[in-house]
Formats: sequence, structure tokens, C-alpha cells
Amino acid sequence: MEEAGALTARELWNPSPELPPRVSQLRDEYVDIAGRDHFRNEIMPFTTGTEWDTVWSPCLWGVVPDLFPFHKAFMESLPMMATKVDLPGDFWDKPLVVRAAIFFSEVVRNYLPVQILEGELIVGGHFNVALSRAQNRKEARSWRRATMKWMKEMDFLNSHGMGNAGATPGHLIPDYPRALELGFKGLVEYFRGLGEKAESRQQKEMLEALVICCEGARDLIRRYASEARRLAGECGDEERAGELLEMARICDKVSWEPPETFHEALQALWFVHMLVMVQESYPGPGLSPGRIDQYLYRYFIGDIESGRLDRQRARELLDCFWIKPNYAYDFMYKVGRTRGITSGYGQLITIGGHGAEGEDTSNELTWLILDVIEEMNLLEPKPNVRLHNGTPPELMKRVAGMIAGAQGAPFLLNFDEASEAALRWQGLPEEDIWDYAPVGCLENTLQGNDRSGTVDVNVNLAKAVELTLFDGKDQATGDRCGPRTGDPCRFGSWDDFKRAFETQLEAMLKRFMEVYDLSDSIRSRFEPTPYLSALVKGCAESGRDVTNAGPEHNFVTVEGVAFATAADSLSAVRKLVYEDGAVTMDELIQAIEDNFEGHEKLRQTLLNRAPKYGNDDDYADDVARYLSRFWTEEVFRHRTSTGRRYRGGYLSWNYWIAYAPSTAATPDGRRRGTYLSNGLCPVAGADRSGPTAVALSLGKLGLESAPNGDSHTISFNPSLLRGEERVDKLAAYLRGYGEKGGTALQVNVIDPETLNEAQRHPSDYTNLLVRVTGYNAYFVMLGREIQNEIIARESHEL
Amino acid sequence: MSCSEPEGRGGDPQQTGVVFNIQRFSIEDGPGIRTTVFMKGCPMRCVWCHNPEGIAFERQLMWFDVRCIGARDCLEACPNGALELGRSGMTIDRERCDACGRCADACPARALELVGKDYTPHEAFQEVYRDEAFYRNSGGGVTVSGGEPSMQPRFVAELLRLSKEAGLHTALDTCGFASGTVLEKLLESADMVLLDLKHMDPAKHLELTGVELEPVLENARMVSSSGRPVWVRTPVVPGCTDSAENIASIGRFIAEELPSVERWDLLAFNNTCGSKYSRLDMTWELEGVPLLSAEAMEALAEKARAAGVPEVCWSGTTRSS
Ligand code: SF4
Ligand code: SF4
Repeated sequence: MEEAGALTARELWNPSPELPPRVSQLRDEYVDIAGRDHFRNEIMPFTTGTEWDTVWSPCLWGVVPDLFPFHKAFMESLPMMATKVDLPGDFWDKPLVVRAAIFFSEVVRNYLPVQILEGELIVGGHFNVALSRAQNRKEARSWRRATMKWMKEMDFLNSHGMGNAGATPGHLIPDYPRALELGFKGLVEYFRGLGEKAESRQQKEMLEALVICCEGARDLIRRYASEARRLAGECGDEERAGELLEMARICDKVSWEPPETFHEALQALWFVHMLVMVQESYPGPGLSPGRIDQYLYRYFIGDIESGRLDRQRARELLDCFWIKPNYAYDFMYKVGRTRGITSGYGQLITIGGHGAEGEDTSNELTWLILDVIEEMNLLEPKPNVRLHNGTPPELMKRVAGMIAGAQGAPFLLNFDEASEAALRWQGLPEEDIWDYAPVGCLENTLQGNDRSGTVDVNVNLAKAVELTLFDGKDQATGDRCGPRTGDPCRFGSWDDFKRAFETQLEAMLKRFMEVYDLSDSIRSRFEPTPYLSALVKGCAESGRDVTNAGPEHNFVTVEGVAFATAADSLSAVRKLVYEDGAVTMDELIQAIEDNFEGHEKLRQTLLNRAPKYGNDDDYADDVARYLSRFWTEEVFRHRTSTGRRYRGGYLSWNYWIAYAPSTAATPDGRRRGTYLSNGLCPVAGADRSGPTAVALSLGKLGLESAPNGDSHTISFNPSLLRGEERVDKLAAYLRGYGEKGGTALQVNVIDPETLNEAQRHPSDYTNLLVRVTGYNAYFVMLGREIQNEIIARESHEL
Repeated sequence: MSCSEPEGRGGDPQQTGVVFNIQRFSIEDGPGIRTTVFMKGCPMRCVWCHNPEGIAFERQLMWFDVRCIGARDCLEACPNGALELGRSGMTIDRERCDACGRCADACPARALELVGKDYTPHEAFQEVYRDEAFYRNSGGGVTVSGGEPSMQPRFVAELLRLSKEAGLHTALDTCGFASGTVLEKLLESADMVLLDLKHMDPAKHLELTGVELEPVLENARMVSSSGRPVWVRTPVVPGCTDSAENIASIGRFIAEELPSVERWDLLAFNNTCGSKYSRLDMTWELEGVPLLSAEAMEALAEKARAAGVPEVCWSGTTRSS
């Protein structure tokens, strides 16, 4: 990991002192990737062996522009490094979805390494792969042609700072509770039953593929059983041998039958989940297990009540489970792509929340998981707590206390009432809404039946302001990026300006939807993922793959990047140019062309005399609301050609940094290169009225039209939260936020001095976690520029 | 809002007040999350005052060197020639300046700021009411502080009344040096009182605050007997109020004479306000005085508890080691 410089991984990840010895050893082993020669979960490519084979699909990485320069190399080199998989003689006679299923099954059945680490109680280690898409020559040719076309357009859009788009894996919640309830056996019986009634050939083929995948999974899990038995035989330590035999029994059982105990359920869950990463050839970003404290509870409490399990052991099992998703980070160990916050993957688990009748559903497992989160202090799985107006005060206080202590992983908080209002707005069925959960960073979806695609399109809203000011041209290059909307110096009124802005934004949106559609159709036509389809409701029933609008609900979120930068820019134009006349459009454009060089007085006027979003200032918030509603309502009017509905959101991942240099200076007083605003956060430094005002500003945006991706981070100086009384006040703040603010909140509690210290002496601060756009990241591992940005943000103290 | 009779309540909807800050998410001025309205003007002159901009009743101009970009628009805007921008920064001729605020309006960088803004009670109330949801969820509300709120009684009474009528919890933060009748009026709409007790030695009190002690104690008794819950606050300032003896005697007074005191906060001295003094062309007399240590604060809190006050808390910045 290059950003870490001279630090070794061991220094970077401090073990927590109170962990059971077994867990702390496993944890140490995990973090010491360099010293872990005996086990690395690095990407393993597998090929059909044809010269046209595809094992790397750029579209799937369309929203990671850092990778664009490497796609061609990956496309060529990975098949060369790949292991050739022996396939049955009639392989090429089968339809693509069946080939994909056979390929998946053969790999996991015969090739995927099976290794059990010393001391672990939950097994399943190797899952980072690049699977062949199993395409025949003709399919591969069409795939390639479409992919090249997509890459060309995407390069243009990205390099001009307009945004990015691609059909991204992960970012959904498979129906794990059902998989646990039925086991692979039950799933297969269900698919066979459907197969008997199926009429269309497409559905028959689909169901055949699903069965093949489940059988492959079964065989892999049985290999773990054998390995455990083999190790037990060799093991000198009687106690460990006993554990291994028990693990062998569990693997044998859950390879086909449904789990019944807590240990069995955790083991089964990990296998089912891990295999999705295999199937998608994707290391887990946004592949989220959902409300685990709900669906695992029956196994937990059954064991506790029958006396089969004590709480200490339950915790140890959870600890062991907790380490597993982190191994996703081995993905690119050698390839070495680690830049800043891309070091966050986001297998998001959800705890808390309410039930169908609005009753609070937190339970003993919720509390146990909180303890585990605190003591493990790992990047994954990322914790989200659902809060609602009936969240018990003790739980509220526990969560607030964990946040205020700034110890352990910072949380993501989801506010049920606002989140659910938004899911309702987009028309999801009332009887499912209460059971929603977030994926990835904070994007709300339904569980088990929703192909949510929450990060697939990212559009730079501030770019639309630039294009409005320059008649559709990119300011730096003069390249045409949008329609001709006229010379703004000739606009007579704010309404004229607004209309031009809307035209630019609509045109951008249209262009992005076209390019997204291309990637979505590439994936749906040429890259089916039947194993995942077996786990998402609607696919088997419709006979359509999860990549092809098979699930019951199908959405794509278009995330508006740089929301506040755009909103404040519009406010400044409206107020200073059209209302006060303090600034002329001529001067403004000149100043932006000069990047405010020699226009400091004008820049100060823009900074200080225009209202800013984030202060509960009705003027600025009205403009922000206008932008927010225009954006989400416009987006919501469109669908992909596969039938997925677009919806608007505001996650900005790292694009608010990435597009800073390619976005011209903006009328809010920002210079080119200064970071854009992040998520729904106000522009850094523009919010001067404290955390209640920020919450109220967000609340005025009309976020019921933005069901996922309402990313908001707030920073508290720790001195503000010292002591129990202050923790109570934080808890109360969170309740107020739930009532009046946005849908999701991340809290950072770190003072700038600590961050400065950490920058100077990284080795003393290896355990310092911060939140960046929904990602937990170790501060000392972040790129310098992101570190600086965080320090700047924390410094303006709330 | 309603236009009920101000008569007999002392409040006056037409009476504007001079406010120098409305601080939201205020978590140090009473229970819960609050908004504190700081009234300008104070009868005391405490040497440690960390809000010197609240002392004078008149509006005052402040210049922020870090914000100034040297655009000089202010100089042109001033009708009285009261400003001079030289190498060492801005000089404000306070004799000439009549605090009209034109320079501040002209400055693109907001480097000049007029401290003190007129609000009608209703305007201030509307600001305060914005955070209603946070008060409700935290048991918080509005605190009227200063300066000394009782110096602008008609505005404050009306603001408290409007707030209370809207269901907000109201607190009056007073230094205790006020007319008893005025305080009594204000108490009508105050759910609780934050009361400063600084020193129990009359001579010391006069020396450190510029006013007599006895009226403060008299008002303290009156406030307590009104039955309103009272939180006492004592600034602990090295060499001024930080003797164990002083804390013990304040404690005795509370325990013996103020039955409605629920809690006593010891506020550790903070030395970050020097720049405010220079911006106002005032002298910060405690320059260089070190912070107290956490141990010292803890020891004083122990003393305070020993006096028999139900709940004693201390807070504030302390020096490390
Ligand atoms: S107008 Fe403002 S920035 Fe300019 S010289 Fe005066 S104080 Fe400084
Ligand atoms: S407040 Fe008015 S009088 Fe005073 S310096 Fe500014 S412009 Fe001149």
C-alpha cells in the first residue's frame, strides 16, 4: 500500500488489547499482509482458454476513473496469467447463462484454493478472482466492440470533469435470510419446482444455471469440510482438533442443508456472501449483508436459550466472522492500486431499526455486535445503525458514546423516518419499506429483491454551472461538452440563467444515461451472474438474470457530485448578479477565466456577500432545494433500456477531489483545483452556524425524492463531547437530526491538532479511523491531499 | 405572533434589543441543546471577562486582520474619517467612529464587523425558534445571557414571554447585579436561572468586578425564593477566584441560603480572548496567566461538594500535565 510510505502493515493496524488471544492472533495475521506469505487472497484469474476470452470487464469499473489507464493492460495480461479451467465437452453448446454457471461451478469445485488458518472458527479464505465471462467468439467480439465504444466516451466525460458511469457490481443486498432458511438444498428444490412449470426457454435455461451454481457452491464448501478433517488428523492439540472436527461437521451440513445453530448460520452466511464476490469477480464494494442482527437473532437466541452457546463464545464467533470480509483488501496487493479513499470497500452491515409495526427491533445481538465493532476496530464490515423515533434511549446513548469516544470504527447512522419517506416516494411497496437497509456507503435499498445499483452514475453538478457560463464549452480546453445555451452576458434575468443551467444539466444527464445504458446492456447481454441471481428474489421467477432486470425492483442511482458547490454558485449568481447588481456577469466570467487571479475583491464578495447553503439561511436553502428537487425529479423520469429506473442521489465518493482540477473556478468563490463539496455537506468553511443549522438546511432539500446517497458528514471537536452530559446532548442532537435533517449521517469526532500530529507522526496514530464519504479509512493511510482536506474540514470547529 | 398586552409584564414588543450574538447549539448554558442570546451591555467589569464585546452597551467596530485583503473600500465608505490602514494594521479612531457600520457593509472580505445588532423581540424569537426540534429532544431551550440581560429588561421580558408561550424552555443567565424588581419581572417568564457567584469577599468582589457584592447576594436569595431552579456558575480564575477558601464560602452560602440551587458549575479560566480585547482597543489584563490544571479543578470541585451543594461540575480548558 504505497501511501503508507515507510510504515509496515503491522504498524498500521494496532490490535485491540482486550481481544481473546485467538482473535488477536487472527487479526494480526490479517493486517500483516506483507508477512503473510502462506496466505494471500490476491486476485486469481481463470480462463476458458480461448484466445478471445474476457476475464476483465472495464465497464464494471466505470466508476473508478483511477483505473482507466490500466484497463487495456488488465484486459491483456490477466488472461495470460489465468489458470485454464477444464470444461465439459458440451460446454460451448450451452447458452451463455449456463456456460457462466458451469464456469463458476467448475472453478469453485476444482480450482479455488481451500485453506484454513490457524485458530479460525469461520472458514472461507480465497475469493478474489477474475472469472472468464465464458463468451463464445461471436459474443466476445460484440462485447469488445461495445466496450471500446463505452471506454472512448467515458474517457471524454471523465477527462472533462463531467463525471463517470458504469454498470457496477455489488451495491445490493442479496436475500441471505432466505438462503439461510432453505440452504442450497431448499433453493435447488425451489428452482427445480419452478423449472417444471416454466414455459419459456429463457427461464428454463436460467433455472438450470441457478441449480448448477448452487451445486458448485456445495462442492466448494465440502472441500472445506475435508480440509478441516485433514487438519484435525494432523493436529497435535486436542482442543483444536475438536474444533476442526466440529467445523468439518458444520461445513458438511451447511454445504447443502440449512444451518440451525449460530455457528452454523455465521459459517453459512460467510460462504454464501463470499461466493457472490467470486461470481461477480469483484472484491465486495457495496455487497451488503443487510440487517444481520435481525435475521441472525433466531440462531443466536436459540443457542443461548438452549445453553448450547454462551455469550463469550458467541462474541468470539462474531469476532472471527468480522475478520473475513477484510480479506477483500488483498485484491490488488501486487497490482498496487491504493490511492486515498479508494481503500474502502463497504460491505455494509445494518443493525437496529424497527419492525413492521414500527416497534423497535434492537435486541441482545445488536448490543453484542456493537461490542464487536468496538473491539475489532477494522475497516470491514462497515457498520450502520438504523435510528428511529422509537430507538431506546440506552441504545441511542451507547451509539452516541461510541461516536463521542472516537474509538473504534466511526458509524454511519441512518434515520428511518426520512429514509422510508424517500423509499415510499419512489413507489416501493409499503409492506417492504420498513425492512430496508443501506448498501455500500449509505444508500438505502430493499433487502433481497432490489438491484439497486446505487453508485453507477456520477454527474458533476458544478460542471453544469461551468457549461452554463461558457455556452456549453469546457472552460479549460474549449471543447464542446454541452449544448449552446447562449452568452450569459446577454441573459436578462435569473430565470434566463436558470433555464440555461437546466438545459445544460438535462443534456449532461441524457449523455450519461446513454453511456450508462451502453454499459448496462453490455453486462446484461454478455456478463450474467447466475450465482448472484440465485440469491435475489425475482430472478428465478422472471427467468432473467440479476444483471438483466430480473429482480423484483430495479434501480440505478445517478449521484449528483458537488451539490453545495453548485447550489452556492447558483445562489451567488442569483443574488449578486441579478438581484443586487453587485457583480456583473462580464466580470464574473472574466474572473473565472482568470481563476480569480487579480480578482480577489470580487472573489471575497462572492465568498462573503452571497448566502451559503448549510446555515439554515432560507435564501440559500431555497436555491439548494430548487437544485435538489430539479435534479431528483428530472432523473426519476428516465429508465434504462433494460427497464431499470433512474433515481437521484448525492454520494460523491472521491470525485469531489478527483474533479476539482477539471472543474473551472465557480461563482461561489472557489478556485479551480480547490475541492468541490462532498455529498450533501456544505462547502467546506461555508457553514458557520453550527450543527443544528446544517441539519435544518439538509432537511429543507426535500430529500424524500432522493432515497439513497444522501451523504452527509459532520465533524465535532472532541472537546465538545467530553463527559456523559455531552454524550446525552449528542444523542439528543441525533434525535433532532432524525426529525428535521437528512436521511443518513456520518460523524467524525477528531480535533485538528490530533490530525496534524498524526500527519507528522503517523506511526503513533495507526489506529485513527476517520470517515470519508461513507468510507471508514485509517487516516495515516490516506493520501496527503485528502488528509489536508480533512484537517481543513475539522478545523472549522462546530 | 399574538399581540397580547405587554402591560404589567414589563415586556414590550416594540422595544428593540442590542444583541451581540445568537449562538446556536449552545451546550454550556443550561440543560440540553440551547440557543443563547447574548445581550450587549453589562454593569460589571470583571477582569477576566471573556466576552469583552458584551460589556459596552453601544455598538462597536472590530477589525479582523486575518480577513483583511487591503482593498481599502472601508476608508472610502467612512463618512467620519475614522479609519486608517497603515503598516501595522487598521487604526479605528473610536472618538470619531459613531458605529454607523458603513465600512463593514463596504468591506468585501468582512474584515470589519459591527458588534451589536438591533432585534425586535419577535425577530430574535424567530431565530431562536428555528432549533425547536433540538430543544424538544434534548430538554433544552433558549438562554438569554450577556452582558447582562436585565439591562435591557423590556426586550428580554418580551423575548422570554414569546419563547415560553411557544413552549420553549427558558433560562435567564444573570450576573446578579440588577434591580430586584426588574429581575422579578424577568423571572415571570424564565423557567430557570443561571446565576454567577464570583467572590464572597465584598472588597475583593468590588475590586475584581467593579460592583458591590451585597446586591448580588440579595438577588440570589430572591431568585432562590422564587422557587425557580438555579444553576450557579463560578468562573475559576487564577489569582482571582481560585482560592479554596473562596470556593468554600460560596459553597456555604449556596448550601445555607439558596435552597433552589440544583447545580453548581465551576468554569475553568480560559485565556483565548486576548485578540478580542485588542480588536476593541481594550487591554487584556490576564495576558500570560496560565491555565489551571485538571487536578486543581478537581480539588476545587471536591471542596465545593464538601460544602453540601447537590451537584457540582467543572468544565473548561485545562493545561496538560
Ligand atoms: S475594506 Fe475590508 S479588506 Fe479592505 S481594507 Fe478595509 S477592512 Fe481591509
Ligand atoms: S462604523 Fe461608521 S463611523 Fe465607524 S469607522 Fe465604520 S464607517 Fe466610520
